Amino acid sequence: MRFEDLVRQHAADLYRYAYWLARDRQQAEDIVQEALLRGWRAYPRLREQAAAKSWLFSIVRNEYLRAMESNARQPESLQDFDPPDERAANPGLEMREALLSLPASYAEPLALQVLGGFSCAEIAAMLGTTEGATMTRLTRARQALKRLVAPGSSKERKGGRS
Amino acid sequence: MNCLDYRRLLAAGEAETADMKAHRLQCTACAAQFVEHGEFERELRSGMAVEIPPGFHERAKNAILFSRRRFLAAAGVAAVAAGIGAYAWLGRDGPLAMACIEFVMKEEGKSIMMGAMPRTEAEAALAGTLPLARIERIGQVKHIAPCPFNGATAYHVVLSVPQGKVTLLVMPESRVSSSQQAGYDGLYASVVALPRGSVGVVGSDSAVVNSVVGALRA
Repeated sequence: MRFEDLVRQHAADLYRYAYWLARDRQQAEDIVQEALLRGWRAYPRLREQAAAKSWLFSIVRNEYLRAMESNARQPESLQDFDPPDERAANPGLEMREALLSLPASYAEPLALQVLGGFSCAEIAAMLGTTEGATMTRLTRARQALKRLVAPGSSKERKGGRS
Repeated sequence: MNCLDYRRLLAAGEAETADMKAHRLQCTACAAQFVEHGEFERELRSGMAVEIPPGFHERAKNAILFSRRRFLAAAGVAAVAAGIGAYAWLGRDGPLAMACIEFVMKEEGKSIMMGAMPRTEAEAALAGTLPLARIERIGQVKHIAPCPFNGATAYHVVLSVPQGKVTLLVMPESRVSSSQQAGYDGLYASVVALPRGSVGVVGSDSAVVNSVVGALRA
């Protein structure tokens, strides 16, 4: 497959993934553009076509980490997350708002799973962690979201859900 | 599989496997859980699907062809290095030949700085278009790497020949219908068709360019 076709197929999800890493639209686009340039140059050396999608997502991730490093910002690490508990939660948020309130350590594997369609094992490999740890993060991310949106989800508040 | 296993996998968002499905079909409690999970996942997908900015796809495409920022930076470096300060296109020769000259002026330095591809990969990449061994009969290959050019992938080769340096742009995906020549700012380019694809040759001496083109086609 030509690199251009690969990009056409995945560009939207790469942008969304970058957005959930950076939480900033302009930065997300910059990250994806830089990642595509790097990806394009490295593409002839990619041996496994089947891995092309996860390879592209990994390049976006690396580009995000590089951007954080050059901005002297520290990306949130796996260790520093503090999941919202029931006392801290603000129930009734829109799903988008709830997602924005998640720490990156929760949002990132979730984005890889939901947007990229990757399995826990694949996500673990991409994030350099174990499959068990990834499953825990994904489970806790969903639990946190459910706590945030459940009691008065947006549709209910707007009276739209039947 | 028991209910605990099923719900553990479901809660982590794993796609339902055949084992999981078999369990769900015989367990009404897990089947109900599955329906609830599906509704949540739809909401989650919708929440994650942030809008794509207008023009993003076009800009992404352009990022592959040229990174505007790097393009301008490279142009600035080339201008200073050549001591010309500023430049403007003067010629109106063959467009692909002009693009080859433009590449050498603006992009060649960047391409070299990005590093060369391994020899084995270069041999494989060029095999169907212009075998590396044929290029090496003409001169010494100093650098070879893939690069974005003219909307497709080309291979940038810096070749040292007895009369100096020439640049080749091997274009496996573009075949010109007839040869093109161009000259601009002391550089000369010739683009010729190969059995598959084309090759552009750029150098500072038109006679050397013609001589390399002749050797490549021989």
